[in-house]
Amino acid sequence: MKVQRGVWIVTVIAVVLFLTVWVFPIVWTLVTSVKLPKDVFTYPPSLIFEPTSANYEQVTAGRRSLVGDLWTSVVIAGSTTLLAMLVGLPLAYAFARLRLRWRNVLGVYTLFTYLIPRIGLVLPHFVILRWLNLTDTHLGLTLVYLSFTLPLAIWLMVSYCEDLPAELEEAARIDRATRLQAFWRIVLPQLRGGLAATTIFVFITAWNEFLFALALGGQNVRPVTVAMYNFISVEQTLWGPLTAAAVIAMLPVVVLGLLAQKQIVAGLTAGSVK
Amino acid sequence: MTRPETQLRNVTVGPDQHASTGDPGRRLRARLSATFDRERPFAALMVVPGIVVLALTTTLPLLYLVGTSLFRYDLTAPAGNGFIGFDNYVRLASDERFWDSLRLSAVFTASTVILQVSIGIGLAVLVERMSRGRALVRMAALLPILLAPVVVGLIWRSLMLTPDFGIVNYLSTVLGLGSRNWLGDPSLALGSVVVMHTWQWTPFAYLIFSASLATVPREILEAAEVDGANAWQRFWTIVVPLLRPAIVVVVIFRTVVALSAFDAVYAATGGGPGTATELVDIYIFRVSFQQLSLGYGSALAVAMLVITLAVTLVFLKMRRAAA
Repeated sequence: MKVQRGVWIVTVIAVVLFLTVWVFPIVWTLVTSVKLPKDVFTYPPSLIFEPTSANYEQVTAGRRSLVGDLWTSVVIAGSTTLLAMLVGLPLAYAFARLRLRWRNVLGVYTLFTYLIPRIGLVLPHFVILRWLNLTDTHLGLTLVYLSFTLPLAIWLMVSYCEDLPAELEEAARIDRATRLQAFWRIVLPQLRGGLAATTIFVFITAWNEFLFALALGGQNVRPVTVAMYNFISVEQTLWGPLTAAAVIAMLPVVVLGLLAQKQIVAGLTAGSVK
Repeated sequence: MTRPETQLRNVTVGPDQHASTGDPGRRLRARLSATFDRERPFAALMVVPGIVVLALTTTLPLLYLVGTSLFRYDLTAPAGNGFIGFDNYVRLASDERFWDSLRLSAVFTASTVILQVSIGIGLAVLVERMSRGRALVRMAALLPILLAPVVVGLIWRSLMLTPDFGIVNYLSTVLGLGSRNWLGDPSLALGSVVVMHTWQWTPFAYLIFSASLATVPREILEAAEVDGANAWQRFWTIVVPLLRPAIVVVVIFRTVVALSAFDAVYAATGGGPGTATELVDIYIFRVSFQQLSLGYGSALAVAMLVITLAVTLVFLKMRRAAA
C-alpha cells in the first residue's frame, strides 16, 4: 500500500509514543531499583547517578528478606499449576474429543466457573479454610488457587485439543492401542506446545494472584505479591526496596511470558478472532 | 464432533492397514465395537476428576456463600450470630455506601473499557500500516499484561503518581498544569486509577484487534482506497464493521475484569481517599476482612455476582444478535 510521507510520520510518532507509555513505567522501576535514596528523591527525575545493589541486598537478606516469600510463591504457584494441568488436561481433551452425554451443560458450567469473580470465592474459602484448619498454609492456598487455575487451564487446553488432527489417534487405536495408551503416547506428545504455553500462562496467573493471598495467607504463608505490599505504609514508602522487590517479582513472569510470547498472544486472542 | 470422527475412522484406517489380514470389514467392526465398549469408562476417567475438583473449589464455595449471606456472622462480635433470613439483603438495599461503590464501579468500568477499546483499535490500525517493527510492538504490549496488577498498582502509586517525585507529576508541571496530588485528591483519584487500569489492559485489546485485523484481506482496504475513500471513511465504513465481533469480545472480557477490579486499585489507593475509589470489590473486602462481618459481606458478594452474571448474559445475547 502506498502511504503518503506525512501519514507515515504521524504513524511512527504515535506508535513510538504508545510504546514509550507502556514500557517507561517498567524501565523506570528497573532504574529506581538501582538508585540510592538520595538519587531517588532528586527532582527533576534524573538518569545520572551511581548505580547500587544496596536495594537488592536489602530484599534478599536480613530483616526485609523476600527469599522466603519468593519460595512460597514458587511452591504455591507451582503446585496449583501442576494440579490444574493434571486434572484439567484430561477434561479439556474429553470436551474436545469424546462424545459426552452432558457435553453442552458441562461446557457452559466450565465457562461459568471461569467467569466467577474472585471476590465471590474469597469469603467462603476463608471460612472453609478456617474450618479445615488450613488458613495460612501452603496446602490451603494451593487448593484455593485451583478455583481459578483449573478453569483457566481447561479453557486454554480445549482449544489446543480441538486443533489436534484426529488421524494419528485413530490409527493408534486400530493398532491395538487402548484409548489411554493413545492419549499418553500420541496425544500428549502432539500437545507439547500447547501444554507448555498453558502451563506458563496458568503459572503466571497464579504467581500474580493477590486477593486470595492477602485474605487467606498470614505470617507463615505470604506470597511475594503480599510481601512487597508491605514496603508501602502510611508513614513512608521504601522506594528502593519496593522497586527491587517489584523487579524480582516481575522477573519470572516476564521471562516466561517473553519465552512463550507467540503462544500466549495466540492464547489471549483465541476464540475472539475465529 | 462425533460424526466426522467416525467418517475419519473409516477413511484413514480402512484398507491400507488391514488389507493383508483379510476380511478388513469385520475386523474393523469388531475392533470399533470393542473400543465403543470402553468409551464410557474412559470418558468418566477423563471427566470426573476435573469436574469434581471444579465443583469442590468453585461451586461448593458459591453455595456456601449464598448460605452465609442468610446469617449474621460477625467475627468481632460473635454473640449475636445466627440465622437472620434476608435481613442482610434488606440492609444492603438501603446501604448508601454499597450503592455509591456500585456507581463508582460503573463509571470506572465504562470509562476504562471505552478507553481500552478506542486506543486499542487506533493503535492496531496504525501498526497494521507499518511494514517493520510489529514484533517489537507486540513484545511491548505483552509486558503490562504479564505484570501482577498489584505490582502495577504499587509502581503507579509510587513512581508515577507521587506528588513530589512522580513522573506524571513532573510531566504535568513541565506542561504547566501544576503539581497535583493524583491519588490523594478525591476529585482526581478515580481518574488516576482509571488511567492506571487502562494502561495495563489496553495492550490486551490491542493484541486482539491486531490479530483480528490480520485476518482482513488487504484487497478490501486497497479497493476502498482506489474508490477514493479517505482514511477516516475507510476506518468507519470498513475497519470498524469488520472488527465488530472482536470489539464485542473485548468489551465483554474487559467489562467483566473491570467490574471486579481489586488488586491494582487496592494497592494504589486502598479505596481512598475516604471512599473516592472504593469500587464494589474493595467495599466488600473491607466489610468482610476489615470489619469481619462475613454474613453481610457474603450478601454483598452475592449481589455483585448476580450483577456480573446479568451483565455477562446481556453481552452474550448481544454477541449472538451481532453474529
